[in-house]
Amino acid sequence: MIKRIIFFVLIFYILTLLQTSFLVHFNVFGIVPNFVLIAVIFINLFGSSDREKVFSAVIGGFYLDVFSLNNRGEFFGFYTLILLGLFLFSKIILEKYVRFPTIKKI
Amino acid sequence: MLTYVGIYFSEAEAKNIHSSLSSFLSHKNSVDEGKPERANFIALQIYGKIGLMGTLLSVKLHQNIKKVIVALILLSIFIVVLNFTDFSRNINDFFFLISSPIQKSFWQAGKSVSDFATGILKTSTIKKEIEGLRFENQELLGQIAVLTELKRENEILREALGLGLEKESELMLVRIISKDISQDSILVNKGEKDGVSKGLAVITGQKVLLGRVGSVYDRFSEVVLISNKESSFGARIPEREIDGIIKGEGGFNLSFVLIPREKEILENDTVVTSVLGGVYPEGLLVGQIKTIKKSDVDPFQSAEIKPAFNVNNLDYLFIIKND
Repeated sequence: MIKRIIFFVLIFYILTLLQTSFLVHFNVFGIVPNFVLIAVIFINLFGSSDREKVFSAVIGGFYLDVFSLNNRGEFFGFYTLILLGLFLFSKIILEKYVRFPTIKKI
Repeated sequence: MLTYVGIYFSEAEAKNIHSSLSSFLSHKNSVDEGKPERANFIALQIYGKIGLMGTLLSVKLHQNIKKVIVALILLSIFIVVLNFTDFSRNINDFFFLISSPIQKSFWQAGKSVSDFATGILKTSTIKKEIEGLRFENQELLGQIAVLTELKRENEILREALGLGLEKESELMLVRIISKDISQDSILVNKGEKDGVSKGLAVITGQKVLLGRVGSVYDRFSEVVLISNKESSFGARIPEREIDGIIKGEGGFNLSFVLIPREKEILENDTVVTSVLGGVYPEGLLVGQIKTIKKSDVDPFQSAEIKPAFNVNNLDYLFIIKND
Protein backbone atom coordinates (compact mmCIF):
# COMPACT_ATOMS: atom_id res chain seq x y z
CA MET A 1 0.00 0.00 0.00
CA ILE A 2 2.86 2.39 0.85
CA LYS A 3 4.30 1.81 -2.63
CA ARG A 4 0.91 2.67 -4.12
CA ILE A 5 0.68 5.87 -2.03
CA ILE A 6 4.18 6.96 -3.13
CA PHE A 7 3.15 6.27 -6.72
CA PHE A 8 0.05 8.45 -6.30
CA VAL A 9 2.08 11.26 -4.67
CA LEU A 10 4.51 11.31 -7.62
CA ILE A 11 2.07 10.80 -10.47
CA PHE A 12 -0.42 13.41 -9.21
CA TYR A 13 2.40 15.90 -8.66
CA ILE A 14 3.65 15.44 -12.23
CA LEU A 15 0.10 15.64 -13.61
CA THR A 16 -0.57 18.87 -11.70
CA LEU A 17 2.67 20.48 -12.90
CA LEU A 18 1.98 19.42 -16.49
CA GLN A 19 -1.52 20.78 -16.28
CA THR A 20 -0.52 24.15 -14.82
CA SER A 21 2.62 24.80 -16.88
CA PHE A 22 2.81 22.68 -20.03
CA LEU A 23 -0.74 21.98 -21.18
CA VAL A 24 -1.79 25.62 -20.69
CA HIS A 25 -0.30 26.24 -24.13
CA PHE A 26 -2.61 23.70 -25.76
CA ASN A 27 -5.96 24.88 -24.45
CA VAL A 28 -9.10 24.54 -26.53
CA PHE A 29 -11.18 27.74 -26.24
CA GLY A 30 -9.31 28.52 -23.03
CA ILE A 31 -10.10 25.15 -21.45
CA VAL A 32 -7.47 22.68 -20.25
CA PRO A 33 -8.80 19.31 -19.10
CA ASN A 34 -8.32 18.59 -15.40
CA PHE A 35 -6.15 15.48 -15.60
CA VAL A 36 -5.90 14.99 -11.85
CA LEU A 37 -9.69 14.87 -11.60
CA ILE A 38 -9.88 12.44 -14.54
CA ALA A 39 -7.22 10.19 -12.94
CA VAL A 40 -9.08 10.16 -9.60
CA ILE A 41 -12.35 9.27 -11.36
CA PHE A 42 -10.64 6.40 -13.19
CA ILE A 43 -9.09 5.06 -9.98
CA ASN A 44 -12.47 5.30 -8.24
CA LEU A 45 -14.16 3.41 -11.04
CA PHE A 46 -11.61 0.69 -11.65
CA GLY A 47 -9.49 0.65 -8.47
CA SER A 48 -9.28 -2.52 -6.43
CA SER A 49 -9.54 -1.37 -2.82
CA ASP A 50 -11.33 1.41 -0.93
CA ARG A 51 -8.09 2.51 0.72
CA GLU A 52 -6.49 3.06 -2.67
CA LYS A 53 -9.50 5.12 -3.80
CA VAL A 54 -9.55 7.27 -0.65
CA PHE A 55 -5.81 7.95 -0.84
CA SER A 56 -6.04 8.89 -4.52
CA ALA A 57 -8.89 11.33 -3.70
CA VAL A 58 -7.03 12.91 -0.76
CA ILE A 59 -3.67 13.23 -2.56
CA GLY A 60 -5.22 14.47 -5.82
CA GLY A 61 -7.45 16.92 -3.94
CA PHE A 62 -4.52 18.23 -1.92
CA TYR A 63 -2.47 19.00 -5.05
CA LEU A 64 -5.45 20.70 -6.70
CA ASP A 65 -5.91 22.81 -3.55
CA VAL A 66 -2.24 23.78 -3.46
CA PHE A 67 -1.99 24.73 -7.13
CA SER A 68 -5.37 26.41 -7.52
CA LEU A 69 -5.01 30.08 -6.70
CA ASN A 70 -8.07 30.66 -4.57
CA ASN A 71 -9.35 34.05 -5.64
CA ARG A 72 -12.98 32.99 -5.97
CA GLY A 73 -13.44 32.53 -2.25
CA GLU A 74 -12.74 28.81 -2.35
CA PHE A 75 -11.19 27.57 0.88
CA PHE A 76 -8.14 25.35 1.19
CA GLY A 77 -9.45 21.78 1.22
CA PHE A 78 -12.24 22.50 -1.26
CA TYR A 79 -10.97 20.03 -3.88
CA THR A 80 -10.06 17.42 -1.23
CA LEU A 81 -13.63 17.45 0.04
CA ILE A 82 -15.04 17.40 -3.50
CA LEU A 83 -12.93 14.37 -4.43
CA LEU A 84 -13.81 12.56 -1.18
CA GLY A 85 -17.45 13.22 -2.01
CA LEU A 86 -16.80 11.79 -5.44
CA PHE A 87 -15.34 8.66 -3.81
CA LEU A 88 -18.43 8.18 -1.63
CA PHE A 89 -20.75 8.85 -4.55
CA SER A 90 -18.97 6.39 -6.85
CA LYS A 91 -18.91 3.78 -4.06
CA ILE A 92 -22.65 4.02 -3.50
CA ILE A 93 -23.39 3.97 -7.24
CA LEU A 94 -21.02 1.07 -7.94
CA GLU A 95 -22.26 -1.01 -4.99
CA LYS A 96 -25.97 -0.45 -5.54
CA TYR A 97 -26.44 -0.11 -9.26
CA VAL A 98 -23.45 -1.50 -11.16
CA ARG A 99 -22.46 -5.11 -11.67
CA PHE A 100 -19.34 -5.95 -13.63
CA PRO A 101 -19.72 -9.27 -15.51
CA THR A 102 -16.95 -11.58 -14.32
CA ILE A 103 -16.17 -15.26 -14.92
CA LYS A 104 -15.95 -17.26 -11.70
CA LYS A 105 -13.96 -20.46 -11.37
CA ILE A 106 -16.19 -23.23 -10.05
CA MET B 1 -25.65 -11.67 6.96
CA LEU B 2 -21.99 -11.89 6.03
CA THR B 3 -22.63 -10.53 2.54
CA TYR B 4 -24.94 -7.81 3.84
CA VAL B 5 -22.43 -6.22 6.20
CA GLY B 6 -19.61 -6.82 3.70
CA ILE B 7 -16.95 -7.90 6.25
CA TYR B 8 -14.36 -10.51 5.47
CA PHE B 9 -13.59 -13.03 8.21
CA SER B 10 -10.14 -14.21 9.19
CA GLU B 11 -9.13 -17.85 8.79
CA ALA B 12 -9.81 -18.58 12.49
CA GLU B 13 -13.25 -17.05 12.29
CA ALA B 14 -14.02 -18.99 9.13
CA LYS B 15 -13.05 -22.22 10.92
CA ASN B 16 -15.32 -21.20 13.79
CA ILE B 17 -18.23 -20.72 11.43
CA HIS B 18 -17.45 -24.03 9.76
CA SER B 19 -17.41 -25.89 13.09
CA SER B 20 -20.72 -24.22 14.05
CA LEU B 21 -22.29 -25.42 10.87
CA SER B 22 -20.94 -28.97 11.45
CA SER B 23 -22.34 -28.87 15.00
CA PHE B 24 -25.67 -27.76 13.62
CA LEU B 25 -25.75 -30.82 11.38
CA SER B 26 -24.82 -33.16 14.29
CA HIS B 27 -27.49 -31.41 16.44
CA LYS B 28 -30.05 -32.26 13.78
CA ASN B 29 -28.83 -35.89 13.79
CA SER B 30 -29.01 -36.10 17.62
CA VAL B 31 -32.60 -34.86 17.60
CA ASP B 32 -33.37 -37.40 14.92
CA GLU B 33 -31.70 -40.15 16.96
CA GLY B 34 -33.74 -39.22 20.07
CA LYS B 35 -30.90 -37.87 22.30
CA PRO B 36 -32.39 -34.55 23.62
CA GLU B 37 -29.65 -33.89 26.23
CA ARG B 38 -26.86 -34.12 23.67
CA ALA B 39 -28.99 -32.06 21.29
CA ASN B 40 -29.49 -29.29 23.93
CA PHE B 41 -25.77 -29.22 24.73
CA ILE B 42 -24.87 -28.82 21.04
CA ALA B 43 -27.59 -26.21 20.57
CA LEU B 44 -26.11 -24.20 23.48
CA GLN B 45 -22.70 -24.41 21.83
CA ILE B 46 -24.15 -23.18 18.52
CA TYR B 47 -25.99 -20.26 20.13
CA GLY B 48 -22.87 -19.36 22.12
CA LYS B 49 -20.74 -19.32 18.98
CA ILE B 50 -23.31 -17.35 17.02
CA GLY B 51 -23.54 -14.87 19.91
CA LEU B 52 -19.76 -14.55 19.95
CA MET B 53 -19.71 -14.06 16.19
CA GLY B 54 -22.41 -11.39 16.49
CA THR B 55 -20.39 -9.58 19.15
CA LEU B 56 -17.25 -9.78 17.01
CA LEU B 57 -19.23 -8.46 14.05
CA SER B 58 -20.71 -5.54 15.98
CA VAL B 59 -17.26 -4.72 17.41
CA LYS B 60 -15.82 -4.73 13.85
CA LEU B 61 -18.64 -2.52 12.54
CA HIS B 62 -18.29 -0.23 15.50
CA GLN B 63 -14.53 0.01 14.92
CA ASN B 64 -15.02 0.85 11.22
CA ILE B 65 -17.58 3.59 11.92
CA LYS B 66 -15.35 4.90 14.68
CA LYS B 67 -12.40 5.03 12.28
CA VAL B 68 -14.43 6.90 9.64
CA ILE B 69 -15.73 9.40 12.21
CA VAL B 70 -12.23 9.96 13.63
CA ALA B 71 -10.82 10.44 10.09
CA LEU B 72 -13.59 12.93 9.23
CA ILE B 73 -13.07 14.90 12.44
CA LEU B 74 -9.29 15.02 11.87
CA LEU B 75 -9.78 16.14 8.26
CA SER B 76 -12.27 18.84 9.30
CA ILE B 77 -9.89 20.12 12.01
CA PHE B 78 -7.01 20.12 9.49
CA ILE B 79 -9.03 22.12 6.93
CA VAL B 80 -10.34 24.59 9.55
CA VAL B 81 -6.83 25.14 10.96
CA LEU B 82 -5.42 25.67 7.46
CA ASN B 83 -8.09 28.18 6.53
CA PHE B 84 -8.11 30.21 9.72
CA THR B 85 -4.35 30.50 10.00
CA ASP B 86 -1.60 31.53 7.60
CA PHE B 87 -0.39 27.94 7.40
CA SER B 88 -2.10 27.27 4.05
CA ARG B 89 -0.16 30.19 2.55
CA ASN B 90 3.07 28.61 3.81
CA ILE B 91 2.10 25.28 2.23
CA ASN B 92 1.35 27.02 -1.09
CA ASP B 93 4.61 28.96 -0.90
CA PHE B 94 6.63 25.82 -0.14
CA PHE B 95 5.13 23.87 -3.06
CA PHE B 96 5.56 26.82 -5.44
CA LEU B 97 9.19 27.12 -4.35
CA ILE B 98 10.10 23.48 -4.92
CA SER B 99 8.07 23.29 -8.14
CA SER B 100 9.11 26.57 -9.76
CA PRO B 101 12.27 25.23 -11.53
CA ILE B 102 10.28 22.34 -13.05
CA GLN B 103 7.36 24.61 -13.89
CA LYS B 104 9.66 27.13 -15.61
CA SER B 105 11.05 24.33 -17.81
CA PHE B 106 7.54 23.00 -18.53
CA TRP B 107 6.34 26.51 -19.43
CA GLN B 108 9.25 27.01 -21.85
CA ALA B 109 8.80 23.54 -23.37
CA GLY B 110 5.05 24.05 -23.76
CA LYS B 111 5.61 27.41 -25.42
CA SER B 112 8.16 25.99 -27.89
CA VAL B 113 6.00 22.98 -28.82
CA SER B 114 2.90 25.16 -29.13
CA ASP B 115 4.75 27.67 -31.38
CA PHE B 116 6.04 24.83 -33.56
CA ALA B 117 2.60 23.21 -33.85
CA THR B 118 0.92 26.54 -34.58
CA GLY B 119 3.51 27.24 -37.28
CA ILE B 120 2.69 23.99 -39.06
CA LEU B 121 -1.09 24.02 -38.61
CA LYS B 122 -1.79 27.65 -39.39
CA THR B 123 0.57 28.45 -42.27
CA SER B 124 -2.10 29.96 -44.50
CA THR B 125 -3.62 32.02 -41.66
CA ILE B 126 -0.16 33.25 -40.68
CA LYS B 127 0.52 34.36 -44.27
CA LYS B 128 -2.71 36.40 -44.27
CA GLU B 129 -1.87 37.81 -40.86
CA ILE B 130 1.59 38.88 -42.07
CA GLU B 131 0.00 40.71 -45.01
CA GLY B 132 -2.44 42.44 -42.65
CA LEU B 133 0.35 43.35 -40.23
CA ARG B 134 2.49 44.82 -43.03
CA PHE B 135 -0.38 47.05 -44.02
CA GLU B 136 -1.04 48.00 -40.39
CA ASN B 137 2.67 48.69 -39.91
CA GLN B 138 2.65 51.18 -42.78
CA GLU B 139 -0.31 52.96 -41.22
CA LEU B 140 1.31 53.03 -37.79
CA LEU B 141 4.56 54.40 -39.17
CA GLY B 142 2.57 57.27 -40.60
CA GLN B 143 0.89 57.83 -37.23
CA ILE B 144 4.26 57.73 -35.41
CA ALA B 145 5.55 60.49 -37.65
CA VAL B 146 2.53 62.64 -36.75
CA LEU B 147 2.79 61.78 -33.03
CA THR B 148 6.52 62.59 -32.91
CA GLU B 149 5.72 66.01 -34.24
CA LEU B 150 2.94 66.39 -31.64
CA LYS B 151 5.27 65.21 -28.86
CA ARG B 152 7.86 67.82 -29.78
CA GLU B 153 5.13 70.47 -29.83
CA ASN B 154 3.83 69.24 -26.46
CA GLU B 155 7.30 69.47 -24.89
CA ILE B 156 7.73 73.03 -26.15
CA LEU B 157 4.31 74.01 -24.72
CA ARG B 158 5.08 72.34 -21.37
CA GLU B 159 8.33 74.23 -21.14
CA ALA B 160 6.54 77.44 -21.96
CA LEU B 161 3.88 76.83 -19.29
CA GLY B 162 6.40 75.59 -16.71
CA LEU B 163 4.78 72.14 -16.24
CA GLY B 164 6.91 69.13 -15.28
CA LEU B 165 6.60 65.74 -16.92
CA GLU B 166 4.53 63.12 -15.12
CA LYS B 167 6.53 60.81 -12.94
CA GLU B 168 7.15 57.51 -14.67
CA SER B 169 5.70 54.49 -12.88
CA GLU B 170 8.10 52.15 -11.14
CA LEU B 171 7.97 48.76 -12.82
CA MET B 172 8.99 45.41 -11.41
CA LEU B 173 9.97 42.61 -13.79
CA VAL B 174 8.34 39.27 -13.00
CA ARG B 175 8.29 35.90 -14.68
CA ILE B 176 5.25 33.66 -15.29
CA ILE B 177 5.50 30.26 -13.63
CA SER B 178 2.14 28.62 -14.07
CA LYS B 179 -1.53 29.11 -14.78
CA ASP B 180 -4.34 28.26 -12.43
CA ILE B 181 -6.09 24.92 -12.98
CA SER B 182 -9.61 26.23 -13.41
CA GLN B 183 -9.57 30.00 -13.44
CA ASP B 184 -8.04 32.89 -15.35
CA SER B 185 -5.16 33.58 -13.02
CA ILE B 186 -1.43 33.06 -13.28
CA LEU B 187 1.42 32.70 -10.83
CA VAL B 188 4.49 34.96 -10.99
CA ASN B 189 7.84 34.65 -9.27
CA LYS B 190 7.81 37.73 -6.99
CA GLY B 191 5.96 38.05 -3.70
CA GLU B 192 5.60 39.94 -0.46
CA LYS B 193 9.35 39.78 0.22
CA ASP B 194 9.99 41.63 -3.07
CA GLY B 195 7.52 44.39 -2.22
CA VAL B 196 4.50 43.13 -4.16
CA SER B 197 1.14 43.93 -2.61
CA LYS B 198 -2.45 43.06 -3.43
CA GLY B 199 -4.22 45.11 -6.11
CA LEU B 200 -1.19 46.31 -8.11
CA ALA B 201 -1.69 46.43 -11.89
CA VAL B 202 0.22 43.98 -14.09
CA ILE B 203 1.13 44.80 -17.69
CA THR B 204 3.19 43.32 -20.50
CA GLY B 205 6.27 44.94 -22.03
CA GLN B 206 4.03 46.57 -24.67
CA LYS B 207 1.88 48.30 -22.00
CA VAL B 208 -0.97 45.86 -22.51
CA LEU B 209 -3.05 45.39 -19.38
CA LEU B 210 -2.99 41.83 -18.08
CA GLY B 211 -4.63 42.04 -14.67
CA ARG B 212 -3.99 42.83 -11.03
CA VAL B 213 -2.23 41.11 -8.17
CA GLY B 214 -4.57 38.84 -6.19
CA SER B 215 -3.21 36.64 -3.40
CA VAL B 216 0.35 37.45 -2.35
CA TYR B 217 2.61 34.72 -0.97
CA ASP B 218 6.13 35.20 0.45
CA ARG B 219 7.99 34.61 -2.80
CA PHE B 220 5.16 34.30 -5.32
CA SER B 221 2.03 36.21 -6.32
CA GLU B 222 -1.14 35.38 -8.08
CA VAL B 223 -2.17 37.65 -10.96
CA VAL B 224 -5.94 37.75 -11.57
CA LEU B 225 -6.28 38.24 -15.33
CA ILE B 226 -8.75 40.80 -16.66
CA SER B 227 -10.58 37.88 -18.29
CA ASN B 228 -11.26 36.34 -14.85
CA LYS B 229 -14.97 36.23 -14.01
CA GLU B 230 -14.30 38.26 -10.87
CA SER B 231 -12.75 41.14 -12.81
CA SER B 232 -14.51 44.33 -13.95
CA PHE B 233 -13.18 47.85 -14.51
CA GLY B 234 -13.84 51.06 -16.42
CA ALA B 235 -12.63 51.34 -20.01
CA ARG B 236 -13.09 53.60 -23.00
CA ILE B 237 -12.72 53.83 -26.74
CA PRO B 238 -10.49 56.91 -26.99
CA GLU B 239 -11.19 57.61 -30.68
CA ARG B 240 -14.94 57.94 -30.06
CA GLU B 241 -14.87 59.00 -26.41
CA ILE B 242 -17.19 56.18 -25.37
CA ASP B 243 -17.01 54.86 -21.82
CA GLY B 244 -18.14 51.47 -20.56
CA ILE B 245 -17.25 48.59 -18.31
CA ILE B 246 -14.99 45.65 -19.20
CA LYS B 247 -16.11 42.39 -17.63
CA GLY B 248 -14.15 39.15 -17.52
CA GLU B 249 -16.03 36.16 -18.93
CA GLY B 250 -13.50 33.41 -18.13
CA GLY B 251 -11.53 31.34 -20.65
CA PHE B 252 -9.56 34.45 -21.80
CA ASN B 253 -12.79 36.14 -22.96
CA LEU B 254 -13.80 39.73 -22.26
CA SER B 255 -16.96 41.73 -22.81
CA PHE B 256 -17.46 45.49 -23.00
CA VAL B 257 -20.81 46.34 -21.39
CA LEU B 258 -22.94 49.35 -20.44
CA ILE B 259 -22.18 51.23 -23.65
CA PRO B 260 -25.04 53.68 -24.35
CA ARG B 261 -27.20 52.47 -27.26
CA GLU B 262 -27.02 55.70 -29.24
CA LYS B 263 -23.20 55.64 -29.41
CA GLU B 264 -21.71 54.14 -32.53
CA ILE B 265 -18.95 51.59 -32.09
CA LEU B 266 -17.20 49.61 -34.80
CA GLU B 267 -15.35 46.33 -34.97
CA ASN B 268 -11.58 46.61 -34.41
CA ASP B 269 -11.97 49.77 -32.31
CA THR B 270 -9.25 49.88 -29.66
CA VAL B 271 -10.29 49.79 -25.99
CA VAL B 272 -8.07 51.22 -23.25
CA THR B 273 -8.44 51.61 -19.49
CA SER B 274 -10.12 54.71 -18.11
CA VAL B 275 -9.81 56.47 -14.78
CA LEU B 276 -13.39 55.52 -13.87
CA GLY B 277 -13.43 53.10 -10.97
CA GLY B 278 -9.78 53.76 -10.24
CA VAL B 279 -8.79 50.13 -10.57
CA TYR B 280 -6.07 50.55 -13.19
CA PRO B 281 -3.94 53.45 -14.46
CA GLU B 282 -5.39 55.28 -17.43
CA GLY B 283 -4.50 54.50 -21.04
CA LEU B 284 -3.39 50.86 -20.84
CA LEU B 285 -4.33 48.80 -23.88
CA VAL B 286 -7.06 46.21 -23.21
CA GLY B 287 -7.97 44.86 -26.65
CA GLN B 288 -10.04 45.35 -29.77
CA ILE B 289 -13.76 45.05 -30.37
CA LYS B 290 -14.60 41.71 -31.99
CA THR B 291 -18.41 41.59 -32.23
CA ILE B 292 -21.10 44.07 -31.30
CA LYS B 293 -24.34 43.02 -29.60
CA LYS B 294 -27.25 45.43 -29.88
CA SER B 295 -30.85 44.83 -28.86
CA ASP B 296 -33.92 47.02 -29.45
CA VAL B 297 -35.21 46.52 -25.91
CA ASP B 298 -31.90 47.03 -24.11
CA PRO B 299 -30.89 50.62 -23.26
CA PHE B 300 -27.25 49.60 -23.50
CA GLN B 301 -25.23 47.78 -26.12
CA SER B 302 -22.35 45.42 -25.46
CA ALA B 303 -19.41 44.00 -27.37
CA GLU B 304 -17.06 41.06 -27.24
CA ILE B 305 -13.45 42.09 -26.86
CA LYS B 306 -10.43 40.32 -28.30
CA PRO B 307 -7.79 40.68 -25.56
CA ALA B 308 -4.52 42.27 -26.64
CA PHE B 309 -2.53 39.73 -24.62
CA ASN B 310 -1.94 36.06 -25.22
CA VAL B 311 -0.69 34.25 -22.12
CA ASN B 312 0.83 31.49 -24.26
CA ASN B 313 3.31 33.93 -25.79
CA LEU B 314 4.32 35.61 -22.57
CA ASP B 315 7.29 34.93 -20.33
CA TYR B 316 7.96 38.19 -18.52
CA LEU B 317 5.56 40.80 -17.16
CA PHE B 318 5.75 44.05 -15.25
CA ILE B 319 4.03 44.96 -12.00
CA ILE B 320 3.33 48.70 -11.71
CA LYS B 321 4.42 49.51 -8.17
CA ASN B 322 3.22 53.11 -7.83
CA ASP B 323 0.25 53.57 -10.10
